[in-house]
Amino acid sequence: MPLLEDGQLVPDTWTTLDADSPLPATGPVIVPLSRLEEGLARAPGEKLGVALAPDTEIDTLRTALPRLSLVAVTFPIFRDGRAFSQARALREHLHFTGEIRATGKPLPDQYEFLLRCGVSTVALPAGSDPEIWARAHTRFRIAYQPSVRGERAEGFTMRRVL
Amino acid sequence: MSDVRNNRREAGGSSVITANRLLDGRIVWQVAEGDWSPMIKDARIIPNAEIEAAIAQAAARQQADGLVGVYGVQIESDEATPTPVTVRERIRAFGPTVHPDFTPAAELEAHA
Amino acid sequence: MPDTIPAPALPVGHYGYDQVDRAFLADRVEQFRDQVARRIAGTLSEDEFKPLRLMNGLYLQLHAYMLRIAVPYGVLDSRQMRELAHIARTYDRDYGHFTTRQNLQFNWIRLEDTPDILARLAAVDMHAIQTSGNCIRNVTCDQFAGAAQDELVDPRVHAEILRQWSTLHPEFTFLPRKFKIAISGSPNDRVAARFHDIGLVAKPAPDGGTQFDVFVGGGMGRTPIVGVHLRDDLPEEDLLAYLEAMVRVYNEYGRRDNIYKARIKILVQALGTEGYRQKVDAEFASMNRARYRLPPETVAAIRARFGTPDLNAPDDAAARLDRARRADPAFDRWVRTNTHPHRAPGYISAVISLKPAGGIPGDATSAQMDTVADLADRYAFGEIRVTHMQNLVLGHVRQDELHALWQALRAADLASANIGLIGDIIACPGLDYCALANARSIPIAQKLGARFASPELQETIGPIEIKISGCINACGHHHAGHIGILGVDKKGEEFFQLTLGGSPGSDASVGQILGPALPEDATVDAIARLVDAYLVHRTGGERFLDTYRRLGAALFKDAVYATA
Repeated sequence: MPLLEDGQLVPDTWTTLDADSPLPATGPVIVPLSRLEEGLARAPGEKLGVALAPDTEIDTLRTALPRLSLVAVTFPIFRDGRAFSQARALREHLHFTGEIRATGKPLPDQYEFLLRCGVSTVALPAGSDPEIWARAHTRFRIAYQPSVRGERAEGFTMRRVL
Repeated sequence: MSDVRNNRREAGGSSVITANRLLDGRIVWQVAEGDWSPMIKDARIIPNAEIEAAIAQAAARQQADGLVGVYGVQIESDEATPTPVTVRERIRAFGPTVHPDFTPAAELEAHA
Repeated sequence: MPDTIPAPALPVGHYGYDQVDRAFLADRVEQFRDQVARRIAGTLSEDEFKPLRLMNGLYLQLHAYMLRIAVPYGVLDSRQMRELAHIARTYDRDYGHFTTRQNLQFNWIRLEDTPDILARLAAVDMHAIQTSGNCIRNVTCDQFAGAAQDELVDPRVHAEILRQWSTLHPEFTFLPRKFKIAISGSPNDRVAARFHDIGLVAKPAPDGGTQFDVFVGGGMGRTPIVGVHLRDDLPEEDLLAYLEAMVRVYNEYGRRDNIYKARIKILVQALGTEGYRQKVDAEFASMNRARYRLPPETVAAIRARFGTPDLNAPDDAAARLDRARRADPAFDRWVRTNTHPHRAPGYISAVISLKPAGGIPGDATSAQMDTVADLADRYAFGEIRVTHMQNLVLGHVRQDELHALWQALRAADLASANIGLIGDIIACPGLDYCALANARSIPIAQKLGARFASPELQETIGPIEIKISGCINACGHHHAGHIGILGVDKKGEEFFQLTLGGSPGSDASVGQILGPALPEDATVDAIARLVDAYLVHRTGGERFLDTYRRLGAALFKDAVYATA
């Protein structure tokens, strides 16, 4: 699945596991939350990511988070905006600095929102045109509210320079 | 259009097929496959036994035909002009009741 | 391209855009142009396109596309009103419809034309952003803001701050359901704060600044609920942080499995006021508060972009108004019903009724829009407000010029003297236009308007609010009507259910269903019998609502159903 970072296609070095597939001893893997303990039991230094459901409370990751390199949030449908709040809570409440990956079915028109909520990569849904995603990233030059990206405020206005 | 009212139909009787045009949103009625009219009087009347298949066929080509929201409308059995049984569809067919100038017939005349 | 119209230095009554704001709007228009092109090409399916067009106010209604244009906090300038008139003439059928969210709708728009229309709007600093969709909608405001004698704080600067903050908010644009905020700065609630997802009432803080009363979880629709009071001491600098916390809790926990249970009111009911408050407080406590702080410098910077009227009436303005009233009874009646006291000596606020007897509530022709724009320039600093009652207001009119204004309004058929009376009916577009409606609202309003056309009769009946919705979504606010009328569908035919005792104000209450729904042709007669029963039983200066509250539903039930 193509992976987008900063509007560019980048190679995906991660393997995403479902509830049943065997856990490889080495290499970066994304496990469902139910297999978090199993993932953490691998050798120290093996990169681990966890995939959250939209209704997962971010605080459940509090203790494990320092050992995670990636958290995947998901859009079962693009209208389900809970992942925006999850991403922002990861950055703002738990100060997570690793990769936040958006999966599922987000729309390109949501790309800037994703980034401003703290998402770093998007696993593009099948049939996506990366060009449209890239365009969405450069569409606006300002925003009217602060975000976890800490964009510069324009004087004392509400505006942030993107 | 997932509105349940659009599927309110009796086993017997007849229906016509309607949609909105994508580009201007205006209501049209199916005259023949790929041929649509703003006037319900032009619509082809389909027995309800065959209507689901006809709707599916029309819906399958709606993007190509420049349409959105294809569905079927039950009509009265005893009227010379196809007349929908519900108030909602009568207003769609004959225009808003509060603006006599804006009925499809008046429009056709204005553009004639 | 639109003609270049020189922008006034700073518009009176609303925020004046600068080049950065204009560039943003231009980018937004191009984004939508691109989305429309993708839709027409078929790259975007209707399912994918729908939320994008809705986020730009474009609905597919019964007969055509409907474009809903935002009028932030209900304030327009004359230049903007003239552009709306131009769009009505050029792209629509020569009229527009003012809505209960203080917006304007055009009913006959072509999808193809929409990017150009939005570009024209952008040229006068207007847009249709977030006038639909599951996002934070246009923030509504007191129509007498900055003018009313009873006002403590002019809420429009904070309304503008909320407009900017909620514009393309990255986290809150795909909420479980739509989200409506109203703000007032008067202890007399004219914004239905308790019927909003969030209602804010600004007031002076002990330290001389501004603080807010916060109401949450009010709403109409299928489950009408009066909002609960969350707190009364929200400091201005925490306004955005606290709203972020409130909306975030809703985004995380609001129901997404059932569209009819997705509004914040259901969440607040499920958690209880205390449960919801705890979650909000926990979120608020763990936020980066510095990031979301609203510093006084920002409030001042936004305030500085509002034009202010130079209020300077002659000393004898009030005396001249008195003389004009004594000389002209029809004018005197209009002043009694259609004005509101102003804070400045010699000034008054005038309400322009968009409810002519037998007309369509809230509709205005392009010629009327142009007339109002001209009169606003001549008499009211070019400022026009839209009310949630679907009327217009000129906020700052010199009392000695009021008679001349009234004469000009009368010439344009805009001088109905019925504000707050039985002719001042709210009606949603109903089944004549709306794809969701079950029944027509407008014809009922027209028949009621005609039935009670006499200004003398209306004044005798006194204050009464009739509100008509064509379906349970309650866009016509029937739950908050002294008399509410709800259209229902019975096997494809229209019926109307009456509710009594609703009120949108500081004494907010939800109307109670009176009895079985009535057929269309019996509804107006039933209302007339209700009114007769009230006139028989009222005592002193009682409003209809007071009589209902004192005596209960029984006698009104008899009046409506006994003859059947």
